Amino acid sequence: MPPHMQQKPLTKPMAIQLDSVAKKYGDHTVLNNVSLSVREGEVTAMIGPSGAGKSTLLRCINLLERPDTGCITVEGSQIDAGTNFTAKDLAALRRNVGMVFQSFNLFPHLNVLRNVSIAQERVLGRPRKEADARSMKLLERVGLADKAKQYPSRCSGGQQQRIAIARALALDPRVMLFDEPTSALDPEVGLEVLAVMKELAAEGMTMVVVTHEMQFARDVCDHLVVMANGSIIEEGDPERIFTNPVQPRTREFLRAVLER
Amino acid sequence: MNILNDWPSFLPGLLAGLGVSVQVALLSLLIGVPGGLLLAIGAGSKKKLVRTLIIGIVEIGRGTPALVVLQIFYFGLPASGLTLSSIGASVVALAATTAAYTSEILRGGLQSVPQGEVEAAGALGMSRGDTLRFIVIPQGFRVAIPSLIGFAILIFQATSLAYTVALPELLSQAYSIGSTTFNYLSVLVLAGLMYAAITIPASWLTCRAEKRLARHL
Repeated sequence: MPPHMQQKPLTKPMAIQLDSVAKKYGDHTVLNNVSLSVREGEVTAMIGPSGAGKSTLLRCINLLERPDTGCITVEGSQIDAGTNFTAKDLAALRRNVGMVFQSFNLFPHLNVLRNVSIAQERVLGRPRKEADARSMKLLERVGLADKAKQYPSRCSGGQQQRIAIARALALDPRVMLFDEPTSALDPEVGLEVLAVMKELAAEGMTMVVVTHEMQFARDVCDHLVVMANGSIIEEGDPERIFTNPVQPRTREFLRAVLER
Repeated sequence: MNILNDWPSFLPGLLAGLGVSVQVALLSLLIGVPGGLLLAIGAGSKKKLVRTLIIGIVEIGRGTPALVVLQIFYFGLPASGLTLSSIGASVVALAATTAAYTSEILRGGLQSVPQGEVEAAGALGMSRGDTLRFIVIPQGFRVAIPSLIGFAILIFQATSLAYTVALPELLSQAYSIGSTTFNYLSVLVLAGLMYAAITIPASWLTCRAEKRLARHL
């Protein structure tokens, strides 16, 4: 194994395993047999130029995007994308995965508390009172308990994204996926979201983060994945890749984002 | 003015007719709008056969004039052994027309709900049915309500077509008063005003509804 592909010692069990995930839109290859492993408690950042397939790969983890072929295992639930799987299989896999989107995607017709509670009631069958109590705890944790009765449109972007994080956490996921969570926010507001994410990471949540926040990738993440043209071109320790990238394409990308 | 003098004597008959018109309109909407919602959901089905079939039904329903549908149900169906009363045929025919038209209105509403919210609900593990019920339909319906009220006004006016199947609604009452008093102008003007007395406030309601429903969106 070449040095830049070296992985951490096999200490913790795998949380996410993607095996040869491939996806094409017509003639255009979006993902070219990508394999990826994420261990329990590990924070993985995915960086790379736009169009590299980062978001698509992330969305394959909970099958919001269905790959043409490849096998996806998350916390023991396995789905082979090439074969037919049932809604039940999909529900079992998604059961352990929370997701946060670039555009928040809160439900605008429900107030903040309902946004966080509704899936607990419908998916976990929690009684309304219990769900609301859990929601309030999470809203407190992201610093937004006072917004519970407001509607999302009355909240700033940073607040909406923190609500979205609380909504995902409410289902007690074991893995959290973040798809450019700060890209729609101005830099200062993005910080409050990053702070919540740092806290989560410190508590040992398994996280996969597609991001353009290089400082976050460098300081908070345990593992860095660099993608270009539908493939992972380099992965490993963030500090090592930032200071000494092996691949010329990685070097080029990092120069573009860091030296601006 | 002379024509006004007759109005008090026309009123009881016309009010009874208005009552029938309102009743037919409400029943048609009560049956037709949920039908339209089902068609709208079916038109978004992943199965091509279902989709094609439903879009076919909707297109035929929208393409056929309500008057023709009404005549088919009242005069045509007895030939195949199913006889409907004039009110039954009117409600069924107008409900069918309502379902076809409102399915397009509601489909537009449902499609206006951002795909990202549907994805978010899916990522949260919510089933397709729950996503429709709690996320897509409530928002899509709100978007559609102003157009639905507009359509309800049209259907209320279309109840006058039931005059052709001898339903004693507002227009046939006016016509029968006219044929006994020969005061067609006077009684028809009054009937027209009574239609307007319902439809004009209803369109004010549309404006209010638009403002109110846009609150959180």
